[in-house]
Amino acid sequence: MAADELITAVIVDDHAAIAAGVGAWCAGAVPPIALIDAGDRLADVWTGPGAAADVVIFDLELVPGRPDFGELRRLVDTGRRVIVYSQHIDDAIAIKCVDLGALAYLTKREGPDHLVPAIRAAARGEPYTTPSLSGAFIADTAADRPRLSQREIEVLRAWFVSSSKELVAAKLNIAVKTVDTYITRVRVKYANAGRAAPTKSDLVGRALDDGIITLAELNAKESPP
Amino acid sequence: MADLIEAALRHGLRVAALVAASAIVFGLGLANLLHHLERYEPALAQLGAMAALAAVLAGEAALLVRGRPWHRLRRVAVAVVLAASALSYAALPDGRTSTTIDWVFGAANWVGVVVLLDRPLRDSVAFLLAHELIALLHLLLFDEPTHQTLTRFATGSVSVVGFPLCLAVMAAVLYRLGAMAADAHLEIERVRAADAATAEAHRRRLARYGELSAGTIPLLEGLADGSLDPEDPRVQRRCAIEAARMRRLFAEADTVADPLLHELRHCADVADRKGVAVELDVRGRWPVPPVSVRRDLTEAVLTVLATAASRARVTVVGGEDLVSVSVVADCDEVTAPEPVSAGVRVEALYHGDMVWMEARWQPTS
Repeated sequence: MAADELITAVIVDDHAAIAAGVGAWCAGAVPPIALIDAGDRLADVWTGPGAAADVVIFDLELVPGRPDFGELRRLVDTGRRVIVYSQHIDDAIAIKCVDLGALAYLTKREGPDHLVPAIRAAARGEPYTTPSLSGAFIADTAADRPRLSQREIEVLRAWFVSSSKELVAAKLNIAVKTVDTYITRVRVKYANAGRAAPTKSDLVGRALDDGIITLAELNAKESPP
Repeated sequence: MADLIEAALRHGLRVAALVAASAIVFGLGLANLLHHLERYEPALAQLGAMAALAAVLAGEAALLVRGRPWHRLRRVAVAVVLAASALSYAALPDGRTSTTIDWVFGAANWVGVVVLLDRPLRDSVAFLLAHELIALLHLLLFDEPTHQTLTRFATGSVSVVGFPLCLAVMAAVLYRLGAMAADAHLEIERVRAADAATAEAHRRRLARYGELSAGTIPLLEGLADGSLDPEDPRVQRRCAIEAARMRRLFAEADTVADPLLHELRHCADVADRKGVAVELDVRGRWPVPPVSVRRDLTEAVLTVLATAASRARVTVVGGEDLVSVSVVADCDEVTAPEPVSAGVRVEALYHGDMVWMEARWQPTS
């Protein structure tokens, strides 16, 4: 899509206040983002105006305590660009959502500072890595986790801690763009692992094309301790 | 210690009782038995009774060597002694109760008391009465209960019941003394422990007072005598820092799974009350740092939080080899606190109106 085109997003969330709040953030964004409120009706994401929205903002737990990974997989497999919006800080769930092909994972504590950029990135088919997801990556101890370089871990850690890319850049004496590159590299490594999904393979393909990462780096696995 | 003394006393008493009983049974008893052997009807019954008593004494000797009590076998042993006594009386010629021919009268009593030595006094008394009753029964049934025989029986009973009873009473008194000594010892231990706990509490209180005297007390004195102005932002900042330090000091005494997080929450709470939105986010696991290290780690956070204008993000990222506590907030430039412990480094970054202070601890082990 062209850069000046109006982005539309559809939100599925059973809390009216959340949908209203996100709506206000989208309306106040520059340029504004059009938000369709599907309430708790998943059908409205698949039919009507919601079906044509660029981005799906998906409350993972419409039924409290039961994250709906199945619906997330169906959305991703039909090529939808999904942002998971969850009230829980749970590293395992965050990594699982990324593995299923969600472009972003946000906790509800992460406000418009992260949600608006995440919607814009998702509309372009790009991932957005929030500080909470960074935290999940640095705390990941799974045996099959991708191998991250020392610098990548440093950047992830600083991003998780400061929640500001300007501060990360200042702290590590690098450019903000470089910060983004490191975060993207990690994200690509995770996209290259686990289950196949269209959003993930797009991500990996583009990163290889742009030279952000090489095939060798991509396929390096964390050696088991 | 008291237990050891008591055990030694008990052991000594058992040995003495066994030696005395053996001397009486095998010296006096056996001598009388053999001397009058042909007068018993039959003599074999008397030898059987003597063998039974000898067996019980041998049992006591064996247990004594191994330092064990009788336990459940005690009833059997007492029954054997009483049975030996009854058997001996059954084979005793008539009219001879409590004479020298009646050897068991002055022998079985000692054996029974030896077995019952570590039991309450009433057991020994009951046994002696049972033994006495068997002899009395023989007297009434087979002897002519004349004035003379009854007098002889009564005089005999004085030594047969009296001497072993003296031994039993002595044992009971000794055991009671031992139990009292043990109780007294426990009481002394308890008082000593309470004393040590009080001294430790006092030491801790003094230490806390010492810590407060450096920061809080001059501040309170300044506010009291008017030399410090509560309107002054610097004074307000000092107050916020001291309040957080006091909260941390109180939190240090709590028993919690993760003291570092617990104390950080208390530090954050002070800022929260001022209306600063504080986020606390945590990743990883870490070993529990010692108190002095935790103070260094939290000091940076509370210093920044004391001046934060509206929002702050506090994070802990930890592993086995590094614990990092960070605070990012919108506040004035503040000087980074100097860490006291080895292995702790504090770094500060000022960027626009944001301050990022990080305290890192590398456990050295």
